[in-house]
Amino acid sequence: MKKFDYLKPKSIEEALTLLDQYGEKAKLIAGGTDVIVMVKQKTMAPEVLISLQAIPGLNEINYNGFLSIGPMVTHRMIEKSELIKKDYSALADAVSWLGSIQIRNVATIGGNICTAAPSADTATPLLVLGTQVKIKSLKEERVVPIEEFFKGPGETVLKKGELIKELMIPKPLPNTGSAYYKLQRRLALDLPILGVSALLSLDKNKVTCADMLCTTSPISSILHKMEEDDLVCKEVRIALGVAAPTPMRAVKAETLLRGKKLSDELLEEVAETAAKEAQPRDSIRGEAWYRRDMIKVLVKRMAMKSIERVIQPEETVFPERLW
Amino acid sequence: MKQTINFTLNGELVEVEIEPHLTLLQLLRDKLELIGTKEGCGMGECGACTVLLDGKTVNSCIFPAMEVEGKKVVTIEGLMDAQGNLHPIQKAFVEQGAVQCGFCTPGMVLSAKALLDENPKPTEEEIRHGIAGNLCRCTGYIQIIEAIKAVSGQ
Amino acid sequence: MEEFINVGKRIPKMDAEEKVTGKAIYIHDLKIPGMLHGKILYSPHPHAKIKSIDTSKAEKLPGVKAVLTGYNIPPIKFGFYKDNTPLKANKVCSLRDEVAAVAATDLDIAEEALDLIKVEYEILPGVFDPEEAMKEGAPLIHEEHVGGKEKKPTNVLNLPWRLIAGDVEEARKNSAFVAEDRFKVTWVTHCCMGTSGCVAQFDLKNNLTVYSITQIPSLEQRDFTEALAAMGLKGKKARVIKTMIGGGFGSKLDTYAFEYIAILLAFKTRKPVKIVFSREEEFFATSPRQPAIIDIAQGCTKEGILTFRDIRMILDNGAYTSWGATTPSVMMMPISSLYKVPNVRYIAKCVYTNNTYSQAMRGYGNPQATFAIDSQMDILAEMAGIDPLDFRLRNANTPGEVTPQNFKIVSCGLRECIDAVAQKLDWRQSRGKRDGRGVGMASLIHVGGGARVYKSDGCGTIIKIDDFGTVNVFTGATDMGQGSDTVIAQIVAEELGVRVEDVVVTHTDTDICPWDVGAHASRTTFVAGNSARGAAKKVKEQLLEIAAKSISESPENLDIRDRTIYSKKDPEKKSPLGKVLRAAHYAAGGSMVMGEYFYDPNNENLDREFKGNLSVTYAYGTHGVEVEVDKETGQVKILRYVAAHDVGKAINPMLLEGQVYGGATQGIGYALTERLILQNGKVMNPNFLDYKMLTAKDVPNFETIVVETNDEFGPFGAKGIGEPGLVPTAPAIANAIYDAVGVRIKDLPITPEKVLGALKEKAK
Repeated sequence: MKKFDYLKPKSIEEALTLLDQYGEKAKLIAGGTDVIVMVKQKTMAPEVLISLQAIPGLNEINYNGFLSIGPMVTHRMIEKSELIKKDYSALADAVSWLGSIQIRNVATIGGNICTAAPSADTATPLLVLGTQVKIKSLKEERVVPIEEFFKGPGETVLKKGELIKELMIPKPLPNTGSAYYKLQRRLALDLPILGVSALLSLDKNKVTCADMLCTTSPISSILHKMEEDDLVCKEVRIALGVAAPTPMRAVKAETLLRGKKLSDELLEEVAETAAKEAQPRDSIRGEAWYRRDMIKVLVKRMAMKSIERVIQPEETVFPERLW
Repeated sequence: MKQTINFTLNGELVEVEIEPHLTLLQLLRDKLELIGTKEGCGMGECGACTVLLDGKTVNSCIFPAMEVEGKKVVTIEGLMDAQGNLHPIQKAFVEQGAVQCGFCTPGMVLSAKALLDENPKPTEEEIRHGIAGNLCRCTGYIQIIEAIKAVSGQ
Repeated sequence: MEEFINVGKRIPKMDAEEKVTGKAIYIHDLKIPGMLHGKILYSPHPHAKIKSIDTSKAEKLPGVKAVLTGYNIPPIKFGFYKDNTPLKANKVCSLRDEVAAVAATDLDIAEEALDLIKVEYEILPGVFDPEEAMKEGAPLIHEEHVGGKEKKPTNVLNLPWRLIAGDVEEARKNSAFVAEDRFKVTWVTHCCMGTSGCVAQFDLKNNLTVYSITQIPSLEQRDFTEALAAMGLKGKKARVIKTMIGGGFGSKLDTYAFEYIAILLAFKTRKPVKIVFSREEEFFATSPRQPAIIDIAQGCTKEGILTFRDIRMILDNGAYTSWGATTPSVMMMPISSLYKVPNVRYIAKCVYTNNTYSQAMRGYGNPQATFAIDSQMDILAEMAGIDPLDFRLRNANTPGEVTPQNFKIVSCGLRECIDAVAQKLDWRQSRGKRDGRGVGMASLIHVGGGARVYKSDGCGTIIKIDDFGTVNVFTGATDMGQGSDTVIAQIVAEELGVRVEDVVVTHTDTDICPWDVGAHASRTTFVAGNSARGAAKKVKEQLLEIAAKSISESPENLDIRDRTIYSKKDPEKKSPLGKVLRAAHYAAGGSMVMGEYFYDPNNENLDREFKGNLSVTYAYGTHGVEVEVDKETGQVKILRYVAAHDVGKAINPMLLEGQVYGGATQGIGYALTERLILQNGKVMNPNFLDYKMLTAKDVPNFETIVVETNDEFGPFGAKGIGEPGLVPTAPAIANAIYDAVGVRIKDLPITPEKVLGALKEKAK
C-alpha cells in the first residue's frame, strides 16, 4: 500500500484550495470505505488524501420545502431518518441494505455516488426521487440533475477541483410511493446482482377509495380494483442499477406508464420495456440473461410496492425477499 | 510526516504520534499493542476489526487513524470493568456457547454492544440485522443470537 | 442410567473467556524480538516455464534480509504425493505457485521487495477441466509423472480408487427401477476467520521451533523433521507450538509451502520469520474442497429395496497433491454404507489440472458423494412411486449390520433420525404440494469412532495431579475452536471425580504433549476422549491405592466424588483429594501421581480392495428442510431446518449444538451460495464480498434433535460430530426444492439462476 499524507481542512474553501493545490496527487476522502480499500488494493495511489470530515455542516439532513442531504451524511443517518423512511422510502430501502452497519456508520452518500459504481445502492433511489446535485469548485457552483451525474463506471461529471456540496431532493407529489429492491445472494454484506427502484404518484381521489379496501386484500387484487376504478399513474420513474455502465433511468418504460390507467397488463409491458432498455452484462456477480429477466420481475414488483406504500404508508417495511 | 493525534481510548486519554496513512486497526494493533481487535480481511468485509467510535461500530481496518482525533474509541479491551469482571455481553457469549474459534468474537461482542446500547430489547430480527456485518464461520450465529437475547433479558 | 456430574452438561468452553476479552493470542498476534516478516511472490501465469529470475534489486532494498527462489533452496518435497516444493524452479503449474520469497524488517518493505523481483516466463498452454486433462495430447502438468501399464506421461494420478462389492451389473439387470444421473460439485473453501500463518525460528543448535496453527501437530513435526534433513540438518529437532487457531475445518491438515518458506527464511536469516496470509492469499493460495463430476446409477426393486449403487467420479486434483487427493477413500463410506445397498461399484480418478490444488475440508469427500447419493434417492423413490421418507426407512441402516465395505455398524440411530425429522416437518402433510413450498430430507453416515487413515489412529494423554488437586492433562488432541479441551476436561473430571474447573488441558506443544494423528475425521472426542479417559483411570487407580492406606479401606471399595475420596461401604470414611496427594508427595520415598495412556482404536486400515472396518463406530444423522422457492426469481428461502444426529452421547450438548449449527450453516452455503469461481485457473472472487458466506440474516433457526444411542466403545457412549452437520445439507435442500417446484438441480451451488433456468426449461 502506498503511503499518503492526510489533510483535514476545516472549510469547503480550504478543501477546494487544497484540491486545487495538489491537483492530480490528491484525492478527496469522505467516509473512506471505498477510498481506503482502493488504496489498499493499489487501484488508486494518491499522495494526499483530503478529508471532508472536519468541515462543519456537510453531514446534515434538512427539510425546507425540499430534502437537503449533505454529502457527508452517512448511510446510517439516512437509515434512521423517519422523514426519509416516510417520504423517500426507496432511499431508506437502499441504505438499509448497503454493506453492514459498520460500513453504513462511516460510508457517506456523497462518497457512494462519487465512487460511481454501477452497483451503487443509493444511485437508483436518487434517480427516481429526482435528485439534483449541487457541485462546487473555487470558481463556481453548479447544479446537475443526477441523471447527468454518472458518466461511466467510476466516472462522474465532477471535474478536477470540484466537490459535491449538497444533494437536493424535491418534495414528492401527493400520493407518491417509492421502493428499491436489491437482488442479492445473501441478505447483508453484498453487492446487488441488480438494483431496481421505482416511484409512482397516483391520482388522489381514487386512492382514498382504494384505501378502504386495502388493509386486508392482497396487492394483486388491489391492483385489479384500481383498474376497475380507472386509477391513473400521474408520475412514474424507474431506475436500474447494474443494468448498464451507469445507474440508469428506464425512460421508455416510464413513458408507457405515465398518465395511464394502472393495470396488470400495462405493468407487465412496462417491465418488459425496462428490460429491453437495459444493457446488462455478464460478470462473476451475475449473468446478463438473469439480470434482464429480473428487471422484468422486479420493475413490476417495485411498482406494486410503491403503490402499496401510497395506500398503506405505515407499512413502509424494507423488502426482504418478495414472495 | 508524522502527526500527533489525541483521542480517548477505553476511557483514557491517549496522545500518539502516527504516520498519517495508518488505519485505526494498525494504530491499535501495531502501535498500541491492543491485539484484541482482529484483522479478518483488511477490506471492511467481515467485521472482525469492529471497534466502537463514539459508540458506533466501525471497521477499523479501513478507517483512517487520523479521523479518531478528539473521538472516543472503545475496543474489546475496554469492556471489562475495573475489577476485571466480564461485561454482561462477554459473560453471555461465554455461557451460551457463542464462541468457537473466537476470531470473530471481539468484533461480534462490540457489534452486540452497539446494538444493545441503542436498543436494549431487540427482536431476533433486529439482532440479526445488528450483527449482520460480522462474519462468523464456526457457529452459524445461532448461539451468538441466543447470547444477545440472554443479555437483553429474553 | 448412570448419573454424571460433568458429562452431559452445558459447560462453557475453557478458552471462551480469553477469547471474549481479546486476550487470546492467535498467530497474527505473536511477536518475537527480532522477528522478520516474510512475503511470497506468486506466479502470474497458471502454466509457464520460468526462464529467469532476477532478485538483485530486491536484495539491495534496505530492510530486506533474505530473498529465496526455487533455485537457491534445498530440495524439500512435500504433499501426499511429494509432488510439491516450497518455491518452484523451472516451471509453474498454477497461479498459486510460489516463485520467490522475501524476509524483511517490516511488511511494507517485504511487499516492496516483491515488486522488485523480475521473473521472465515462457507461457505454456494450460488445462483447467479434468475431463480435458485426461485426453490424449492434453498439456502435461508434471511431465515426469507417468501412469498406466505402459508408464506413459499422464495427468491422471496413480491413485486407482476402486471399490467393488457384489455384482453391480447383475443387480442392475434385476432392478425394477434404475436412475442414472450426473451431478457436479465445485470448489468451496474453508474461510477460516483467522488467516493462515506461522512463525519459524531456529535456536543456536539449529533446532527448529514453528509457532503454528496446524490441526496435525505430530505429523507436522514429522514433516518438518524431514525438511530439516533435506536442508542438511539431519538429526536436528523440530518443535511445533500452537497458538490459538482461528478456524480449521480441514484447512490445516497438511503442511504447506508457506510454512517451509518461513523455515527456509528463518534459517537463512538466523531470525524468527513470520508469514501471515492476507485474506486474498487465504482465498487463492490455500486449498479448497475438491470439485467432482459424479456419474451415479442406483437401482431398486418394485418394493423399493436398493439393489445397487454404481458411481464413477472424476476429481479435479489441481496442480499438486495434498492429502485431499485421498478423499475418494472417504467417499467410499457413504457410497458403500449410506442405506443398505448390497452391490456397490465405485471408480474414481484424480486428475492434475492447472487449477488450485484441493485438500481436506470438513466432511472430506462425504458432502460431495452424499449430495449425489441422497439427491438420487429421491429421484429413484419417485420412479418407484414411493414417498422418499418410506424409501429411506426401508433402506435404513441398522445396528449389527456389516456393510459391503466391511464396516461393522455398532450403534445406529438412523431410523430414529429419519422419523424425528419427518415428525418435526409434519412430512406427510407438507410434502408433494408443488405450490412453491416443499420439504426434503437427506441422511448421512460418517466415521464416528476414529478413522484408520494412517498406520496409527492413536492419541496419547498424560495426566498429572499437583498438591492441590489441580489436574493437568497433556493431550495430543488439537482444539481449533470446536472445544475438544473442554470435552476432554469433562471426561477426565468425570472419571476422576473432580470438577471441570480443576482440570487444565494443554494441547499446544509437541515438546510437552503426546503423539496424535491430528484433528480430522471427527475423531477427537472419540479417540482423544477415550485416551483421556484411559489415562484418568490409571491416575484414579493410583489415587485410590494411595488413599487406601490413610483411609484404611481397600482400593476397590473406594471412589472419588467432588474432590473427595470416600469409602463406598462407609461414606464417613473419606479424605479430601488434596490431602491424599500431599501425603503421597511428602511421604518418605514419596510418589508423584501421574498416568499416561495411548488409545489406538480397534479399527482397520482399508485393505487393497478398500475394504475394512475403518472406524470403531459410525455416526448417523438426517437433515430435513422446508423451503420456499420464488418461481419468478429462482430464489430459495429456508423456512425450517431440522437436524437430527445420532451422536452416541452428548458429552457437552451446548458445544455439540454449536458443531451442528456451524456445520449446517456451512452446508447451506455449500448448497446455495458458496463457490470459489475459477476462470483459467484464476480465483475470481478472492474476498468476502464475492465469496458468499452466509451472514446472521441468512441463517435459519435450526431445530436440533440429539439421538443418544450410547455407543459401547465411545467415551461415556459418545461418537464424533465435527463433520456430520454439513454432510446431508445440500441434498436435503435440493430435494426440498424439487418438492416445492418440481425442478431437480444437480450441480452446486443451487443459485437462483439455476433454479429459474430449470423452471423455464420445465415450462417449455
